[in-house]
Formats: sequence, C-alpha cells, structure tokens
Amino acid sequence: MKPDNAKSKVKKKGGGKEYWKNNWQLYVLVLPAVIYFFVFNYLPLYGIQIAFKDYKAVSGIAGSAWVGLKHFKEFFNAYYFKRLLSNTFLLNIYYLLWSFPVPVFLAILLNQLRGPKKKRFIQTTIYVPYFISTVVLAGMLYIFLSPTSGIFNIIREAMGLQAIDYMSDAGAFRSIYIISGIWQAAGYGTILYIATLTGIDQSLYEAAEIDGASIWQKIRYIDLPSLVPTIMMVFILDCGKLLSSDTNKALVMQTAGNIPTSDIIGVYVYNVGLGTGQFSYTAAIGLFINLINFVMIIGVNRISKKTTDVGLF
Amino acid sequence: MNKKEISLSNRAFHIFNTIVWAVVMFLILYPLYLVVIASVSDPDAIVKGEVIWHPVNFSLVGYKAVFKNSELLRSYGNSIVYTFLSVVISIGVTLSAAYTLSRPKFKGKAAINLFFVFTMFFNGGLIPTFLVMRDIHLYNSPLVMILMGCVSVWNLMVARTYIQSSIPHELYEAAMLDGASHFQYFFKIVLPLCKTIVAVLAVYYGVAKWNDYFTGLVYLRDRNLLPLQTILREILATLQVDKSSYMMTMADNAESMAEAMRVANVVKYCVIVVATGPVVILYGFMQKYFEKGVMIGSLKG
Repeated sequence: MKPDNAKSKVKKKGGGKEYWKNNWQLYVLVLPAVIYFFVFNYLPLYGIQIAFKDYKAVSGIAGSAWVGLKHFKEFFNAYYFKRLLSNTFLLNIYYLLWSFPVPVFLAILLNQLRGPKKKRFIQTTIYVPYFISTVVLAGMLYIFLSPTSGIFNIIREAMGLQAIDYMSDAGAFRSIYIISGIWQAAGYGTILYIATLTGIDQSLYEAAEIDGASIWQKIRYIDLPSLVPTIMMVFILDCGKLLSSDTNKALVMQTAGNIPTSDIIGVYVYNVGLGTGQFSYTAAIGLFINLINFVMIIGVNRISKKTTDVGLF
Repeated sequence: MNKKEISLSNRAFHIFNTIVWAVVMFLILYPLYLVVIASVSDPDAIVKGEVIWHPVNFSLVGYKAVFKNSELLRSYGNSIVYTFLSVVISIGVTLSAAYTLSRPKFKGKAAINLFFVFTMFFNGGLIPTFLVMRDIHLYNSPLVMILMGCVSVWNLMVARTYIQSSIPHELYEAAMLDGASHFQYFFKIVLPLCKTIVAVLAVYYGVAKWNDYFTGLVYLRDRNLLPLQTILREILATLQVDKSSYMMTMADNAESMAEAMRVANVVKYCVIVVATGPVVILYGFMQKYFEKGVMIGSLKG
C-alpha cells in the first residue's frame, strides 16, 4: 500500500486527464457487472410502481392507472393477513433458534476428535447434504415420509402404530422444514467455526492440560469463548435474512393438507401472483415484506455495531 | 480433580463424542444410501417397504425408464448447457469486476460498491421482476436461465478479497512501471494467479445454477427449455397431488398405464441419483475449494 500512496501523489499532478488515460480500462472491466445488476436488480425496482397501480397487461407497467394504497389496505384487511404474517415469522424464528446452535456443537466436537483421517472423512461427509438441491431434498421427504412406503411409517407400523401422512399434516410442516434444513445446512455451517477453532493457539490447551483441565473444561473455557465473535457474526447475518425464508423450499413442500402452516408470504405471492395473475396485489405484498426485511437488516446491523463492533457494512 | 478423575472424564468425553458422530454420520449417509439401494431394487419391493438395508430383487428397470424418457434427457442436456455457459459468464464478469474493485486508486469505488451491495438488501420482489423481465423479452428465453443470478454480490466480494490479499502488490507496481495497461495486467498476470478463486467460483455458481428449479418454473413456458430441476419437481414433489403430465409421457414407453405406475415408484429414486450423483462426485474433487470459499468470504472485505 505504501509505495502506492507515493505514486498516486505523482499521478495527481497529472490531473484528471491522465487518470482517465491510464485507468479507463478499469471501468470497462467493471461494466458487465454494472449492466447485470442494472438489468436484473434495478430495472425490477422500476416495476415496483405496479404495487400502487392496477396493472393491466395492455397498458403495461407505466401506463396502468394509479390506485394509491388500495392493495396494501386490502392485504392488511384480508382475513389471511395474520396467518401469512405469523406463519412467515414463526417458521423463520423457529428455524433460526433450532438450527443456529447445531453447527457450533458439531464444530466443537469435531475439533476434539482424534485421528486426522477420521476427522477428514467426517468433514467431507457432513458437507455433502449442502449439494443436494431443494427439489431433491423435498422429493426425499415425500419419499421417506410417505404414508404407504415411507421408512418412517414402516417403522411405525412395525411398532403397531398407525401410519401418518406427514406431508399433509399442518402440525408437522414446521418440524419437517426445520429438521430437513438442519440436515442440509448444519455441516456447511461448521466450516467457519472449525476454522476459528483450528486458529486457537495450541499453547493455551497445553497450559490448560498442565493445570489439570479436562476436555469438558477446555471446551468451556477455551473453545466457547474463542468462538463468540464468529457466533455473533453468523447470528447477525442470520437475523438479517430472518424474513427471507426459503420460499423455494416451502413451495415444493406445500401440499393441500399443510397449507394452514406452510402458507408463508413468499409462497402466497408466487401462488396468487403468478397462479391467478393478481400482479399488483401481490407486488404490494412483496414490497411490504421487502421493506420490513430492509429495516430489520439495517436495525440488526446498527445494534450489533454498537454492542459488539461486528457489522456487515 | 485428580489425574484419575480427569482421565476418566476425558474417556467419557471421547465415548460421548464417538457416539455423537456415529449417529450424525448415520443420519447423513443413511438417507442417501437408501435412495441408492432403492434405485436398483424392484418397484414392488419398494412399495412393500422391504428395501431397508440392501437392494431387493436387483433391477435396473427404473434407470431404463429414466434413460428412455426423452423429456428428462432433454432437460438434463438443458441443465448442462445452462450451467456451463452461466458459470463461464459468471466467472468472467465476477473476476473482472472484482479486479476493478480491488484497485486502491479506482475512483468511484464507493459508489459502485454501494450500487452492488444495495442489491443484497433490497430487490424488486418476484412480481415486479417477472413483469420487467417479460417486458424486456427475457420471459421464456433460454437467456434468462443463463443470465439470471449469474453474478452474486457475495461471490464478487469473495473474489475481490482474494485478489487484494493473495496477489502481491509488488507485481502490480512492477507491471505498471513497465507500462502495462490494466487489461494486460489483468489477463496476463492476475488471471493466471486466480486458479484457486476460479475453482471456488465454479463450485458456488455451478451448484447454485444446477440446483435451481425456481427460475425455470417462473420464467419458462416452453417445456423443451426447462432445466432438470424444474422437471424433477414435477416427478418428485407433485406425485401426490396428481400424476399428470409425467405419467402420460411414461405411458408411451411402458406397456400400459399400470406398468408405468409401477415403475414410477422406482423412477423417483433413479432420478435423484442421476441428478445429484454428478454434483456430489464433482464436490469430491473440488472439496478444498468449497471450504476455501467460506473462509475467504469471512475475511473482512
């Protein structure tokens, strides 16, 4: 960095023209990415106006008539408004609370495992579920939870119990969503924690051993405190996406039977927006949830910066 | 605690730890194993719930049906093409932008950074995006499959951090003293040193693209263009609701509808193996890059 500062002083004398002559290629290199985000992220922002209009295909986005907050009012007064909102919140909060500690525990236990080969094998294996697609994961759920040939119901029947159609059970939806989510992502989640743990100064452990510490104590007094900053960072990241739950997964898992709990905002917007063509109404719902999300990310980031000095931006 | 107690407590820990990992390994591997053994079993044995520990009445009837199903094969080919082209574009666009953002003297860095990062926190939402894509004629075009999601801000920041931290600044100084342009420096010096990050990006972009069913579901109407995962969704996740289009195409190949229904029970497993197998095998080769991506991403960028 230092030699660069010296050089830039020389450059400054050359003025703007010389800067452009030397550096215009930087702008060419960044241009494709700028165009990409413009088309796929900023143009859609222009489309948000339909949330305040009555979109008609013949009139287009710009030409449709303004209706103000009509769609928002309709949504807030709809009888399923509360259900959608609480489904979305609960699914995400339960998921965060249940899934969050798992990688921490796994990383600590893995770190204590003896035998580098065994460790390597386990580490390789626990990442595998991360590579399985949403559709395949949901497909496996349908297969394993099937009331006729699924493994869970085979076991139930062997114990003399009645088969349950789990995927059509509104009471089971959240548990299935959360458990399968942990199955898929917990291994991946350990990577950062393992990296933190391997970074711990070995002499700390040696000193603890001399002082007569057991493994439990080493975990309690060395591992856990060392993990706290990483835990905080991951927690903030997770809180930031609290409402942007995996719509894709809930959508594939939704059946006629589990709608009372599986109907979350993202799924509803897909079903009603693209299914029945109520574009303006669902665009308003989408905007509402995006705004809440945005405020939450900013808020969480503020709080964490104040309290722990860890922030995203 | 005395020495004896400590060694006893440690032994208890190791026993506990071994049991935990045995259980975790079983929970991860058994479902995958079950899918594989069922895929080569007789459909009737599967329905009866006999396939639990090993294949029963070994049979490849499911795989035969999969490889005879022209729609499935076409979607497989589509996915390969979409993923390959998309990954190439992704890597090119991401690395070149990352290079620019990694230059300390680049004017406009703050503005462009903000322009990128803002998209992580706020987007138009599904419906406005859909309508705009339709207006600019990307609806029902293979281009939407290749381009949508082909640059991720997260990956861009990972690449930038990598270029900043692992390519020595002296190289840049030397190249600039020799009168090299940014293009020359980027293509001749930076890119050859970026093998690791190219592999990291290929893993992340590739897996995300291969596994995406939603873009195809929303943006494609022409069935011939659908990617594998969107077709898989019909086979795996809507079987309960109705057996619709998929069973129709199966019936053309099998002797009768009843036989098609019978075979469909094993086809579910076969398509999972065929769709997921290549990804998992590829992961085996790229594993160290997969971990690396997370680590670089966690560095302060």
